[in-house]
Amino acid sequence: MERQEIIEGLVEILKTIRTINQEKLANVTEETDFIADLETPSTELINIAAKAEQKFDVEFDDDDIDDLGSKVKDIVDLIIRTKEKG
Amino acid sequence: MEVVGRRVAVVGMGGVFPTCAHLNEFSDKLFSNKSLIREWDTATAYGKQIRSTVSGFITEAEVNLEKVYSTLLVNYPEVYIDLLNRIPDANLATADIGSIWAMLGTLDAIKMAGWTNAETQSEGTGVVVGSGGGGHEILRHAWHNFFELGKKSRFVGSHTVDRAMVYRDAANVSCLIKNRGVCESIGSACATGLGNIGYAYRLIKFGLQDRVVAGGVEGTSLETFIGFDAMQVLSRGFAPQESSRPFDKDRNGFVCSFGAGIVCLEEYEMAKARGANVLAVIENYHNNSDGDGDMFYPSFNGQQRLWKGLLGETGIKPDVVKAHGTSTPAGDAIELLSIVDCLGTKDYHISAPKSQFGHMLGAAGAVEFITAILMLQKQKVLPCLNANHLNAEQENFQKTDKWQGPTSPLADFRDILPQQSFEKEINSITCLNYGFGGTNSAILISKDNS
Repeated sequence: MERQEIIEGLVEILKTIRTINQEKLANVTEETDFIADLETPSTELINIAAKAEQKFDVEFDDDDIDDLGSKVKDIVDLIIRTKEKG
Repeated sequence: MEVVGRRVAVVGMGGVFPTCAHLNEFSDKLFSNKSLIREWDTATAYGKQIRSTVSGFITEAEVNLEKVYSTLLVNYPEVYIDLLNRIPDANLATADIGSIWAMLGTLDAIKMAGWTNAETQSEGTGVVVGSGGGGHEILRHAWHNFFELGKKSRFVGSHTVDRAMVYRDAANVSCLIKNRGVCESIGSACATGLGNIGYAYRLIKFGLQDRVVAGGVEGTSLETFIGFDAMQVLSRGFAPQESSRPFDKDRNGFVCSFGAGIVCLEEYEMAKARGANVLAVIENYHNNSDGDGDMFYPSFNGQQRLWKGLLGETGIKPDVVKAHGTSTPAGDAIELLSIVDCLGTKDYHISAPKSQFGHMLGAAGAVEFITAILMLQKQKVLPCLNANHLNAEQENFQKTDKWQGPTSPLADFRDILPQQSFEKEINSITCLNYGFGGTNSAILISKDNS
């Protein structure tokens, strides 16, 4: 799965989370920070992670979620890494 | 302790009520002797599993809300959308349906009160709002998915706690209006609504707050309905509009309903100084416990002491008693006899708003407090709808040696139990509410005559 394809999938998830500033979803890149750039309440990060698990059919380790950064590239990396682990 | 000279005014009210788009429609329907009780399709969907099927319920669509289901969990209402944009999305994310109703009622009440943002957001403004039940609709699906379907805890999402915690209604209201004073909930079962208003009254009377948003909520909950249905205490066998019939001899239980009532209280002199419209003045609030160790059965002695504590040295005899009047066999009889024992049989009337919209449980005391304010405003008494036939025989407990109250049958009090709304000069009203655990609450309000 290409990284851009994953980002587009993440944006679809972000559209379902109404506390995120929806106007800022037009220009999401790997460097976009969920908290600093999208004004995502920190309590929603776990919702994003759980919905990503469902959408991309992966199961994150609890340790990986604990260590997850707040940028888009962090979760893209985690999705690819988890998929590679099989 | 009370601060001498400090009084408490009611300056705003709002809420969410069955079959009504707003407070004015609620008022119009009540004074037109209408019932707000309907057959509840959520209950009838369970067929013979549920005994009673009537309720004063409120759908999301009726309040212009839309429920969004989670993609992670089956049937889990992840968030609500406010189709009228009254509440920001960030506040909706942390709210169950009852908390949303509390926030909507708060916005209306503050608007009526005319508080500025600076007043609302000051340290002198508190929030005291409570609920009778838990956030069942949230917890039901969350725990089902965890325990029965084996989902990970994170799939439940990050809002199970804030949407189901005991003081979620108060917390959500406080986060919405950004007050800097107290934020708490009083819980006292079916006396919760009045208990919160009474506590708010004391906060102002004792000099601890200048303004308080207060009230009670009971969000839609099938679990709550089922719990009472299991006790066989809900009304059945009547047409919906006839199913709540306080004091009628054929009453066989209460109608489990849902809703929210919110009021704005303010220190009287401050309210007058800014030219506020004072809807009513709270003369006193009193609450106590039965002390007889019975979780459910009402206490004549407890209610006698309640009346004594409420009226005390006020010298006031209310023109109207807004009764708890649930439509349960023992509760109504004990209540009526304790009222008569205290006030006699003349020069006042009893109103039972539950006859029109059922028993809103944790919201009951607050919504019924609002009906009392409406009676003061309209100078009209709300009825005891469906109290068509009163028992001409003594109640069984009246025939026992230990009974110390009036021995007259309930039918002797026909004159103080109106079946229709009517006009009357009303200067003061007493509101009564009781709850499981033997808790009793009463408040005395009067017209602002200054």
